[in-house]
Amino acid sequence: MRFLVVDDSSTMRRIIVNTLGKLGYSHVVEAANGREGLDRLATADVDVIITDWNMPEMNGIEFIRQVRTLEKTRETPILMVTTNAAKADIVEALRAGVNSYIVKPFTPDTFREKIQAVTAR
Amino acid sequence: MPVRTELIEQLVRATEEVFETMVFRTLTTGAPIDGDALRPRSNVVGLVGFGGTVSGLVALYSTQEAAEEIAASMLGVPREEVNGEMPDAIGEVTNMIAGSFRLKLAERGETLAISIPWVTVGSDFYTKYSSDVQRSMCPFRMGDSEICVELILTRN
Repeated sequence: MRFLVVDDSSTMRRIIVNTLGKLGYSHVVEAANGREGLDRLATADVDVIITDWNMPEMNGIEFIRQVRTLEKTRETPILMVTTNAAKADIVEALRAGVNSYIVKPFTPDTFREKIQAVTAR
Repeated sequence: MPVRTELIEQLVRATEEVFETMVFRTLTTGAPIDGDALRPRSNVVGLVGFGGTVSGLVALYSTQEAAEEIAASMLGVPREEVNGEMPDAIGEVTNMIAGSFRLKLAERGETLAISIPWVTVGSDFYTKYSSDVQRSMCPFRMGDSEICVELILTRN
């Protein structure tokens, strides 16, 4: 299972990569914003995308909209990890094409459960 | 004029939650201090702005040592192994506190947008805000270290 992790915080990327490693997933590509995420997708095949919302250059919502226009990632599961968790935010994210949602701050158990649900699709 | 008590309570709860779940540390909460007379000794300041039905800033103040301890705990590494990641970790903690605060206010019908975080690290600086703001400082103890989270509101 190959993952793309898109987050402008290197700390959050490291926490996510470490947690994925503990779950046995070691094939992870990283990007610091949506624009870089699209660049990574142009050269790498991934099975699951994990993305933040608030990022410079290209935010997570715009990134997801672009991802859903690409043939090879039209159906790729996307998990959003964000502090934006008001009802209106979740509706906006789902409309953009998110499959699942984790609200920061989150416990390792919550992250594990969401990853297991997304990878079981 | 003091900051509304319910806003301070939401900020304190947001801070406690972030430290409990992402920093894996339990904070001891002190009594909030209104106004700008007292400022903590800090080498690291994380800031996130917000705007909407209420507008202002959330600021996290910490010593260098406490900031490195926070980063180390988040990353699950010894403090000596935290190198350039400390500012990013403090920015992320401040972002999560502000985001959690925003969510708590959204549940009460307030609508806010928050900025991306920015972090200042140094040894000889102070942060000056406009005089036309309301300020309330919330002190916390994390082991032997003191950290403070301040809510700064514009008067609109």
